[in-house]
This record gives sequence, structure tokens and C-alpha cells, in this order.
Amino acid sequence: MLAVALRRLAWIPPVLLVTSVAVFVLPRLLGGEVTRSVIRARSASSTPDPATEERLTRELGLDRPVVTQYLDWLGGALCGDLGTSFTTRSPVGSEVLGAAGVSLMLAASALAVALAVGVPLGALAAGRPDGVADRATRWGGAVALAVPEFVLGPVLVLAVAVGAGWLPALGWGSAQEAVLPVLTLAVWPAALAARLVRAETAEVLGHPSVRTARAKGLSPRRTLLVHVVPRALTSVVAGAGPFLGGTLGGAVVVEVVFAVPGLGRLLAEAVGDRDLPVIQAGLVLVVAVALLAALATELAQMAADPRLRP
Amino acid sequence: MRRAVLAGAAVLLVVVAVIEWPAEAVDFADRLAPPSAAHLLGTDQLGRDVLARVLGGVRYSLGLGLLALAVAVSVGTASGLASGWWPRHPLARGTQALVDVLVALPALLVGLVVAAVLGSGLVPALLAIVVTGWAPFARQAHRLTVAVRGEEWVLAATALGAGPRRLLRHHVLPAVASPLLASIAARFAGTVLTLAGLSFLGLGIQPPTPEWGAMLAEGRTYVFVAPWLVVAPAAALVASTLALGCIAARPGVLTDRS
Repeated sequence: MLAVALRRLAWIPPVLLVTSVAVFVLPRLLGGEVTRSVIRARSASSTPDPATEERLTRELGLDRPVVTQYLDWLGGALCGDLGTSFTTRSPVGSEVLGAAGVSLMLAASALAVALAVGVPLGALAAGRPDGVADRATRWGGAVALAVPEFVLGPVLVLAVAVGAGWLPALGWGSAQEAVLPVLTLAVWPAALAARLVRAETAEVLGHPSVRTARAKGLSPRRTLLVHVVPRALTSVVAGAGPFLGGTLGGAVVVEVVFAVPGLGRLLAEAVGDRDLPVIQAGLVLVVAVALLAALATELAQMAADPRLRP
Repeated sequence: MRRAVLAGAAVLLVVVAVIEWPAEAVDFADRLAPPSAAHLLGTDQLGRDVLARVLGGVRYSLGLGLLALAVAVSVGTASGLASGWWPRHPLARGTQALVDVLVALPALLVGLVVAAVLGSGLVPALLAIVVTGWAPFARQAHRLTVAVRGEEWVLAATALGAGPRRLLRHHVLPAVASPLLASIAARFAGTVLTLAGLSFLGLGIQPPTPEWGAMLAEGRTYVFVAPWLVVAPAAALVASTLALGCIAARPGVLTDRS
């Protein structure tokens, strides 16, 4: 297992290098469009004059050959200097890392809530097929999977923050401000977890070992909790890829909806403004996290299921 | 009976998508008006009729979603059939490795990357959806083809002298089509949501085009004074995805010929 982990880890730096080349070079092929976007982002004027455009192009270093620009950036990045943002003119490294910390907090709390709610619901639903809990979970899950974060978020703001006035509508920093974003982000993974656990639990329940456990006198509840649910959890681990991916994608939307200063919001804004240094650093970080998460998923799967080990 | 209802709904949607709704007709005298007899769903910040915009959005939110899905399905099925038929070919192995990576990537993040490279707009958004969207179909078609390959009737067709092209088109494809069709309905909902999500983030279809995600993003600014600007596109979007989810849960509606 260690060998697999090391081999896969060794693949990550080359993939990141290729990603960084693509993210660096391709937008620069657009030419003057980048400078014009930056001018639009810095000032309200939508028709920049040619002189300003030329001066800014030189100032941002966009007039140099792309290869020189890239090697410059790569050298700086390897020493921890990721450049300065085109629009805010602050160092990209601290900006991106600070935002990533916020995103991590948001995603981790949402996943914790989702698992804490989804797994018991799925087990409960499987315990009595077509019972009340099963029907409620199935219908609630179908609705939860059909409602995207960018619909749920504004609707929750409308109902809880504007209508009832219980919680603040926007922001990040206090516990009250975190409730709505975390809740919005948690609904989709919770529904997915409940569905996965329910399907797997139902399958394990038909297994002969469950009959044996019941025959030797274990109560239905104990059978479910000790023999069935732990085994069903491996399916959640196996499905962790789309799970994490969907939550990461959802986090972008949730951050924009609730004005959470996370990586997704930073990137969405940077893409709109063509703030290339922020895009480069942010996307390379996101790809690195996605690759590490995929690797961790695979290793967790191997740990849970010995048959997958090489 | 159910198929008739489904076909009726599909025809109705096509008609709605084809009609030119006055979705961009501005009326400054009648801005942010609440729902009334003249404007059943109210008007927005420019005095545009919200009902006309929601109906006009069918063409973009559902129609373009269907277009992106059709491309993804075609590419995915073709590559899955080929890689399942010749699984040891280096190209097939390369494709499988690529698919394994792509299915784990969230479409919204890929959309960010594509928008960073190509800029935001309709074409980059559709491209972002296709880039990740073909992978699940390729994976499914690959598995189904590998399973079908060993069947005796495939052997019989081979013995009768059918070449790989004829075998794949007339024997393998019909056999794998119905499970694929079932997952198309499920993926359609996801595609519609991704497209709307990209537009919501300002990376996809741009205002004033009446796309539901873009409408939501615009209406969010006025949520305190004109909640109908958020509720109407949100309801349209959720109703569509719920309906598609229900179809996906009972794929027999699509595939049963009885």
C-alpha cells in the first residue's frame, strides 16, 4: 500500500507542472484582452485609451515573451513568491492561502454535518424498507439532490434571514454567520450519503451473515449497528470522489451567495477580471487538493477493503 | 399513458422554446412591479416581464443543456464502445486513465478553468460541460461493451462474417443503448444545473439573455424588494430537475416498448 501511495504521489508534481503551463500560457495568447479586463476591473471606465493600455501591458510584464514570463513565475513560485495580484496589487500567496483556509473550514464543517445527518438517516431508512423513514428520506433526498446551492442559498436567505430575521444574510466570521452557508453546502452531500448508505445497507441486510447474527440472538438494532452499518460505510468511502468534488464545486457557489471570502469566490472574481496571478496560484492549488483527495480516497478504500490491495 | 404524458410535456417544451417571448422588452414605467394580472410573475429592475423571461429561458437553460448533453453522450458512447471492444489497445488504456481522472473533477471547477482560459460566455460554458460530461458515459459504455462482448450472439455474428464496424453499430450499440438511455435522463438534470451554476457565477450565458441561472444572479440583488425575481427562475429550475429526477428514477418510461 505504501508503494502505491508513493508511486501515485510521485505523479502529482508533473501533473501540477503541466497544469501550471496550461493555466499560464493559454490566457496569455488572448493578447490585449487581458490588459483591457484589468483596466475595467481597476477603474469604472469601459473604454481605455491606447496609451494607458500600452503602459499597463508593460507594467504587468505582459509584453515579454510568454516563455520568459512563465520561467520567471515558476522560479518565484518555487521560492514561495507567487507574484502580485493584477487588480488588488497585494501579494497573491497570502491572499490565496487565507482564502483557502476559509474554504477548508466551510467544506469540512459542511461535510461533517452532512455525514452526521445523512448516514443515520440512510441506515434508519434501510432498517424498514417502505416505512415512514424510508419514504421521507427517499422523497426528501430526491428534492435535496434536485435543488442546487445557488437556489437553496437565496431561498434560505429569503426565509430565515429576511423573513424571520433569525440569522444574518451575508458574511463570515461569527458562528451565526456560518450557519446558513454550512447548511446550504451540507444538504447535497447529506442526501447523497443517505442514498448511498440506504442502498448499501439494504444489500448487506440480505447477506447470510446477518441471518446468522440474528439467529444467535442479537437484537435487530444491534445487528444493524454492529454488523450492517459499518460495512455499508465502505460504499460511502468508495463514493467519496464525486462526494468531495461536488462539495468543492458547491463551495464556490455558496461562497459567492453568502459573500464568504473563500478560494472559490476569489477565483470566480479573478476569472471575471482576468487577474492572471491569482488564477494561476488558485487553480494549481485546487488541482493539487483534488489530486491529493483522490489519492486519499483510494487509500481509504484499500484500507477498508483488503481485496483492492495489490 | 405515462409515455403519452411525457411526450406531451416534451412537445410543449419544444413549442415554448421555439416561440419568441418578449423577454428583453424594457418598460421603465413599470419596474419591480409585484405579480399582477398584466404581469403574472411581476417585472424586474428594467420592467421586463418575469414570466416572459422564465419561458424564454427554456430555450437556453434546457435547450442548451440538451445540446451539451447530446455532444457528451455521442463522444462518450463512441469512445466507450471502442475502448470496450479493443480494451488492450494503448489508446483504449489511455482513454480509460483519462476517464478515471475526469469523473472525479467537479464540472463547476472545470468551468472556472475553461473560463480562465477562454473567457466567460456561452461557448466556454458548453465546452466546460462537454469536457467532463462525456467521461461517465464513456465509463458506462465501456463496461457494458466489455460485458456484451463475450455473449454468444456476438460470437455468432462474428462467425457470420460481420466486421467490427457492423458488429458495434448493429449488435453492440442496440444492446447497450437502453441502460445508457436511463442514465442520460439522470445526467440531464446535472447538466442543466451545471450550466445554470456557471451562468449564476457569471462564467456562462450573460445577461440580458434570459437564462435561469443568470436571472437568479441578477435577481439576488433585489431579493429584499422583489423576491419574485428569485423565486420564479428558482422554481423553474427546480421543477425541471425534479421532473428529470423522477424520469431517471423510472427509466422504464423511456425504454419499455410494451
